[in-house]
This record gives sequence, C-alpha cells and structure tokens, in this order.
Amino acid sequence: MRRRASLVLLAAAVFCAALSPLLRWYAFPRLAKVPPSQYQSVVMEAKNADLIDYNKMEARKVSKVNIVQTLKGNVEQAKKVKDATGRDVVVWDTLSYIVGPDGKMVSSIPERYVFDAHSQEPVHAGGESVDGTPVRRDGIEYKWPFLTEKRDYQYFDMQTRTSAPIHYRGTRTFHGLEVYYFEQTIPWTKVPLPKKMPLGVTPEVVKQTGLERWYSTKRMFWVDPVTGAPVNGEELHKEEMRWIGHPEKKPITAFAGHVKMRPDYVDSTVDLVTSQRVLVLLLTSYLPWGLLGLGCLLLTLSLVLEARSRRPGSGTAPAEDPAPDPEPVPA
Amino acid sequence: MRALIAAAIGLAAALALVLAITAIGMPSGETSPKPLLTTVPAHP
Repeated sequence: MRRRASLVLLAAAVFCAALSPLLRWYAFPRLAKVPPSQYQSVVMEAKNADLIDYNKMEARKVSKVNIVQTLKGNVEQAKKVKDATGRDVVVWDTLSYIVGPDGKMVSSIPERYVFDAHSQEPVHAGGESVDGTPVRRDGIEYKWPFLTEKRDYQYFDMQTRTSAPIHYRGTRTFHGLEVYYFEQTIPWTKVPLPKKMPLGVTPEVVKQTGLERWYSTKRMFWVDPVTGAPVNGEELHKEEMRWIGHPEKKPITAFAGHVKMRPDYVDSTVDLVTSQRVLVLLLTSYLPWGLLGLGCLLLTLSLVLEARSRRPGSGTAPAEDPAPDPEPVPA
Repeated sequence: MRALIAAAIGLAAALALVLAITAIGMPSGETSPKPLLTTVPAHP
C-alpha cells in the first residue's frame, strides 16, 4: 500500500515540477496577449493653457482644455490581418479629440495602430495610419510589452509621425504600485496640421495665410512593468504657428499647456491594471514557484514513504515466521 | 521501473495540460459597439 502511495506521489511531484517551467516559458508567452476587443477611454486635461483663437489668429489663456482619447479594438480587421500575416495582432482604432473651454472641438485626430498581441511590436499591415495618412511605426505606442524592461524603447510620436527613443528614468511608486518612469522629449519639429479644425479651418487655408505648424513636447509615462500598461501620463505640450519664410515674425502659440490625466481616470486605470497584473503574475510567478515548491514537497513525501516501505518490520515487508508456541511444562 | 513509469505519467499529464490550455487560448470577442468619444465623459 505504501509503495503504491509513494508512486502516486512521485507522479504528482513530476507533474508539478514539469508544469512550473512549462507555464512560465511555454504557456505564458502564448497566453499573455492584449485582447483584440479592448475598448478604453481616457480624459486628459490642461489647466490654464494657451490656445489659439482662429478668429483673431492670436493665443489666449483658457481655463481648461480637455483631450479625450478613445481606443477601440477592431476585431474584424485583426482577423483579416491575422489571415494575411499569420500573426496574432490587435488593431486599435483611436481618436484624440481635443475640446476647448466652450465645449467645442479644437482638433480631432483619428489613428489606426496595428501591433502584435503578444510582443506589442508594430505590424505593418491593416492600414496603419494617423489622421488618414498612412504611416509606418517602428516603435510602440500607448502600451509597453508585458514584463517591461528597465531600458529605453522606441516610441511612436503621432504628431511627427516618427519613432524616437523613450528613456527609462528609474523606478517610482505610484498609487501603491511599483512603476517604471519613462520620458521622451521631441524637439521643435514642423508637423502637419490636423485635417479637422474648428470654424471649418483647413490645412490649405492655414497654408494660404502663410503659416505652418511646429510642435515640441516632453512626454512622461508611469508604466506598470508587469502588464506594460501606463497608469499615468503627462505631457508638456507646445504648438506654434510659424510664418513661412519670415523667421523674424513672432510665432503664434497654437497650444501650450501641461497635460495631465484626470484624477478619476488615474484611479480607474490603476484599478484596472491592479486586477490585470494578478493574472500575469499568476503565470509568471505565483503558479511556477508554487508548483515547484509543491513538487519538491511531494517528492520528499514520496521518498519518505518509499524508504519506510523498505524498512524491515514495516507493514509491507514480508511477514516473518511467528515465534513457536512454548513447550508445555509439566506442573 | 515502476518509479520511471510514474514519473513519465506525471510528465505526460503536465505536457497535455499545458498544450490543451494554450490550444484553447483566449476568446477574441467582438468589436465594441461603443463609439469613439467626441464629448468629455463625466465619469470613467
């Protein structure tokens, strides 16, 4: 009986010990992926910002500018790209909608971002674009890879439509989470005007006025390294309308402000990331280490049982001959 | 010999479980019917 129990324990020990690395190194890279049907919105705000008034063509101080960013996973398009490329991809259709203090649109920039669901590497298929113009991303955008590393990444900037390094600047604690802080500075660069602007202004009209748009920003992200999801983002964003061929003329500030995530969105993002990171940690840490420990324990028990079963006098050892009855002694 | 067979059974069970889990994978779901927002929502 002990022999059989020790064999069962041995099988269970091997099961647990083998499952541990299989979960971490085989199952995790295949199971951890961004869901293709993700829908998420975030509101950012810039208080006391400078904003251009297209009627007067001058900057004015406004109490607040809101930036509503929505991303929506396009499952049908993701399936088409998967059929074409054989890769598990996510297609995000996004919209950055900027609202002035009067509640009216300042600009509206749609984007399509196609990336590998597991590694978050950009995939050049499925019509990746910014504001209707095809682009080719060489860097990540919106989300870092699972198990983010302490290193610089290439990050795509939608205004310049180019990728540039975003630098790892250290580990911080944010709302009780240990996060990696990243920073990217985009120097003054000439950028295209958004196709949708207020008062029916078009890029052609602005160009005819003799103006072009320049932009500079310092972008900051606080990223949960387990899920790769940013839990906070800020930008020191500046935009100017500069006179074409007249560097001596003073540029018009189109926008200048410190853009921050609205506090209630920070809280909801932290809650979402906290729940998701448990699932990732389950596959990368809790289950592998727990199973390894359990495997060792079961193996020890199995060996103990086996040793006991081989000891003379144990229940499973062959029964010795009983001692002969004593000879009757005459009284 | 019995010990070897027991270990092989444990290993095969672990492999089968992991292969089954990864083969099933995650459901892809459907595109959300919600629109891309053009107003400032009051709450997340």
